[in-house]
Amino acid sequence: MSAGTAPVDVRTARLRLRARAVREFAARFLSRPDGLVGSLILVVFAVLAIAPELFVGPLETATSATGDRLAAPTPRHILGTDDLGKDLLNLTVHGTRVSMLIGLLATVITVAIGSLIGIVSGFVGGVLDAVLMRFADFFLVLPTFVLALILAPILIELIGAQSEILGMRVTLIVIVVVIGITSWASTARIVRSQTLSLRERAFVDRARVVGAGNAAIMRRHILPNVVNLIVANAVLVFASAVLTETTLSFIGLGDPFQPSWGLLLNSAQAAGAAGLGAWWFVIPPATCIVLVVLAFTLVGGALDDVLNPKLRGRR
Amino acid sequence: MVVAHRRRVGRVLAAFGVLAALLLPAVPVAAQEPLVLRVGTTQDLDSMNPWGTALTVGFEAYTLNYETIAYWDENLAPMPAFAESWEESEDGLTWTFTISPDKKWSDGTPATAEDARWTYQLVLDALAAETSVGLGYIDYYLGDAGVTAVSAPDSQTFVVEVSAPTTRLIPNYVPILPKHIWEGQTLDTIGDFQNEPPVVGSGPYQAVEWQIGQSVRFVRNEHFTGRQGAADEVIIQFYANAVDTMVQALQNGELDYARAVLPDQFNQLTGQPNIVTVAGTTNGFTELGFNTYGTGTGKTIPNGGPSTPALLDAAFRDALGYAIDKELLVERILGGYGEVGTTQVPPFQTAWHTPPATPRTFDMELARQKLDAAGYVLNDAGARLDKDGNPIVLELVFPDSEETFAQAAEFVADWFGQLGIVVNSQQYDQDTLIDKMLPPEAGEEYTADYDLFIWSWGGDVDPNSLLSIFKCDEIGASSDSMYCNPRYDELYALQNATSDPAERKRYMDEMQAIIYDDAPYHILFYDAQLDAYRTDRFGGWQNQPSNGVPLFVYGPLDYTLLTAAEPSPEPSQPAGSPSAGAATPAPSPGAEPTASGGDSTLLIVGVLAVVAILAVGLVLFRRRGPTTEEE
Amino acid sequence: MGSSFLVRRVVQAVLTILLILVLNFFLFRLMPGSPERSITRNPNLTAEAKAELRVRWGLDKPVFPDQFVAYLGDVSRGDLGYSFKYRGAPVTEVIGDRIWPTILLFGAGEAIAIVVGLSLGAYAGWRRGGPIDYLGNGLSLVLYSMPYFVLGMLLLMVFSRTLGWFPTSGMLTSGASYAGPADQLLDFAAHFALPLATVSLGLIGLYSILMRSAIIETLAEDYVQTARAKGLREGRILRHHALPNAILPAVTVVAIQLGYVIAGAITAEVVFNWPGLGTLAVTALSARDYPVLQGVFLLLAVSVVVANLLADLLYGVLDPRVRT
Repeated sequence: MSAGTAPVDVRTARLRLRARAVREFAARFLSRPDGLVGSLILVVFAVLAIAPELFVGPLETATSATGDRLAAPTPRHILGTDDLGKDLLNLTVHGTRVSMLIGLLATVITVAIGSLIGIVSGFVGGVLDAVLMRFADFFLVLPTFVLALILAPILIELIGAQSEILGMRVTLIVIVVVIGITSWASTARIVRSQTLSLRERAFVDRARVVGAGNAAIMRRHILPNVVNLIVANAVLVFASAVLTETTLSFIGLGDPFQPSWGLLLNSAQAAGAAGLGAWWFVIPPATCIVLVVLAFTLVGGALDDVLNPKLRGRR
Repeated sequence: MVVAHRRRVGRVLAAFGVLAALLLPAVPVAAQEPLVLRVGTTQDLDSMNPWGTALTVGFEAYTLNYETIAYWDENLAPMPAFAESWEESEDGLTWTFTISPDKKWSDGTPATAEDARWTYQLVLDALAAETSVGLGYIDYYLGDAGVTAVSAPDSQTFVVEVSAPTTRLIPNYVPILPKHIWEGQTLDTIGDFQNEPPVVGSGPYQAVEWQIGQSVRFVRNEHFTGRQGAADEVIIQFYANAVDTMVQALQNGELDYARAVLPDQFNQLTGQPNIVTVAGTTNGFTELGFNTYGTGTGKTIPNGGPSTPALLDAAFRDALGYAIDKELLVERILGGYGEVGTTQVPPFQTAWHTPPATPRTFDMELARQKLDAAGYVLNDAGARLDKDGNPIVLELVFPDSEETFAQAAEFVADWFGQLGIVVNSQQYDQDTLIDKMLPPEAGEEYTADYDLFIWSWGGDVDPNSLLSIFKCDEIGASSDSMYCNPRYDELYALQNATSDPAERKRYMDEMQAIIYDDAPYHILFYDAQLDAYRTDRFGGWQNQPSNGVPLFVYGPLDYTLLTAAEPSPEPSQPAGSPSAGAATPAPSPGAEPTASGGDSTLLIVGVLAVVAILAVGLVLFRRRGPTTEEE
Repeated sequence: MGSSFLVRRVVQAVLTILLILVLNFFLFRLMPGSPERSITRNPNLTAEAKAELRVRWGLDKPVFPDQFVAYLGDVSRGDLGYSFKYRGAPVTEVIGDRIWPTILLFGAGEAIAIVVGLSLGAYAGWRRGGPIDYLGNGLSLVLYSMPYFVLGMLLLMVFSRTLGWFPTSGMLTSGASYAGPADQLLDFAAHFALPLATVSLGLIGLYSILMRSAIIETLAEDYVQTARAKGLREGRILRHHALPNAILPAVTVVAIQLGYVIAGAITAEVVFNWPGLGTLAVTALSARDYPVLQGVFLLLAVSVVVANLLADLLYGVLDPRVRT
């Protein structure tokens, strides 16, 4: 414990502080019923998305289907079968992966674009801010879903439906991109308003006096201070991304070879499941969608309250 | 206070009524209820112009609007339509049609031989200029019949000259158009002509109102000279992407006829009271096709064409045929309603269909052996290689128009995958797919960029249309396999030229064998046409032909045969409806068939519920303060 | 000052609409395939006929400014081009019939949802932690988490297929002849009930959540606390202090959410085969009928901008602070 070790002490002290903060945060977050319930639901679905094979075996295909056409639930197929005899439990569980993956990727894109534009716009200000925010307002107001209806098929045709990017089929990538570019605006708005208030704080001025460049200030001083906001927002964005993916798939923009919940509902509609009384074709994917969106909304709300107590309810 | 609230509710109701009145077309309260035939289809009419549609519903609409020179009877033989009679000359080169002097267009102007001459001449002009009338789906009937000239020596006589004796002239699908409406159109403009209702024609029913994407309404043509059906009006209702809704509407009595229901729905409908289901044999098939571009010609397409030369090898295609379990497809995809596919002439053509002498069976092991024997071996990674040593990866494309294509694609990709052949499937909308599949012969921008496809064909009364798609000169037009075989072309010409059925059959046998063995197509199945209709409002349903279905077949035959059904013995008529019971559709489609007087009660409950929500909301909103203040 | 706010908002709205037009124009040019393909479905067109078409459609001129200016001119005349699917029928004609059903469905749905949703949210927020709050908030969250089409499918299965209370689809019974306007209205109402319930329930979830948090926040404000301290009765506080202050932000959010809501809720139309713009957009999508899709987009986008403008102006009228 010589004097030379003092910086280390400072660091461990800081780490300890941070660990305590995290613990306190976790305790506060999990003590809220909405945070706890939401998190539990999400953990379950995350596990299903990561390893669906563990629970229901490999994805059933047309030739490996094990049931009869549109058979009601039986002990062997506890959620019944679809119109090709595929087990719906199997399909629903495997659908988790595509739905969650698309939601995740779309959230990453949305939040990345939104945060970047929000921070830059709020920090740089002036004409750039005005232009960027007009642009954000434009996207905020736009019925982006209808825009997505036009963009998705055009992009698919332009890129070429056969190509794969990062091992994902283009149809899926296009859905991700379309969700991303049509929903970043509200994130940008929220991040910008926080940046605006941070910009006037003393520590930013100090950094500027020391000679730090704009990029450095944004990265070192602004970003860490808006990260709470971004995280809470990201969770809510995730919820709406899952909803959008579901809706796009439902109206026929999904990839017929990679089951997602929206796609299952699309098949159910196409097979006339409701009229045939095949409720087991509709209820499982519908329940999953509601549960996941609900869970994200609960967690997002709880996070928002815990992380940004002062901002609660403000937009 | 209470009065004020009630008035508010009243106002809401009134606003509701005004809005609804704005929205709804005024329906005159007719003294005599018209008898309306209501027909549902999952297709969506794309054009009222006969030259602008390729859909079954489009053909149905225009053959109701317009007569062809002859119609098809229940055995698909010609029967009088625009012409009341006809005569073939001794040498078979001149056909003389007689048009009734009483014939009138629906607007009352006389319909004469000149109208027929003008319409046929238009098609002949297009053929001569090597272009087409509109989309070009109708022109070839006159081309195949070998029509060389048409004339109208007087208003009752229409003369058609052909290059050789033919059985293909009548009936044909060329609609006879009223010259006085259409004569301003040229070949360049006629495809864009909207032909907005009310349509003037000479068919049994004339379109008077087309709500795009929803329905088209026809009324009886009082001037129609043929047999008149019982329906005063015909409404064709479109259920695009809503087959479930259509079936429900049929069950509820909102529809009299539903075309193309799904197998499970068909089973559900079968045996229900007042509903008859009919599984018609269709004159068509669904196929798995190969892009064989360059077969026989050695031509290639830069940045396009088949991805591997293996596709041009008949032995390769033959071997893959053993990896397709067609029986499973019929069972799983069609629910058993169809037949295993074999040749390009469907069994519907009882006179011409010849099953293959040695049909392929489903045998994965045999498929592997045949591939190995043909020189397509597996590498260490389990991938099947072509003769250049490249792994075979095939692009399978199909349109999104029918669910069965995607389902079949899933099976095919699975089976071929088990052979070590990777199949990437992709669904396209029909127009995009046509553009993707066209070869350079259709225009320099096209590249025929695909390997496999799943699609279907529907044929004419004459097998020519389904035979012609494998002709060399159809590459760039209707050929989607890009198959070319001079012997096949020769046989096509021979069978078309002969007037001896036995001889024609012999040629056709060979043509069917060639396509089955060479396998540019593996015809997966002949799917049945699953239709259903109600018998409580109309009788006289007549399949056309006897193994077919009543409507959406060949011309408007059954529309003219329908009779009004006897008033239903069931007490399903709500009180207060006119005595012509069968003429009035049940006002409440949602009610159970057995429910009678309760119908309107339910409706009122529904309306009241909506109003109640509004009212309660308003009250809550207004009265929140006072109630809480008491606490 | 008041007029400058007005002017600024109107200018902003006009700019946004212009931006939408630019976007729409370039989307059309971005479309794959040759422009001729977009104009005619005739595969056997002669070269001369193609050239003629290019001239007729102005495709022989440069994209900018000529084609763009021509496009703006066309749109201002209400000419939105021609449908691919319906073989050259004008887009305005294809869309025309579909506007009223959508306006009716959304107008009524929004109205019900605003009244019920805001009331429910306000009450739940005010009686935070009470039984109504738990029930209402829970229900709202579930409704909010449910895509409109799922809600529609469920309602359809229960109330139409199983109970048989309502017809399954459409706006009127096809081919029905009515004894009088009252009959027709009843038929319409029966068809209208389930789609309306779907749209308004979906919106009620959203609005009640918004209103609840707005009320909770307002109740925590100093002046409410002051009012409480002064001994004002709870009901009076809610009516005179909390409600007016909470309702303003809620209205703004309702307006902002409009684009999002309309877009998602058009899928409810698909489930019920309601003959509105949503059903049209989806059938146009499956036929890749881009001109019709763009027409729908343009129409919805402009309506949302205008609705937002109106909401802002209304806000300005209601809240004097905004004007100064």
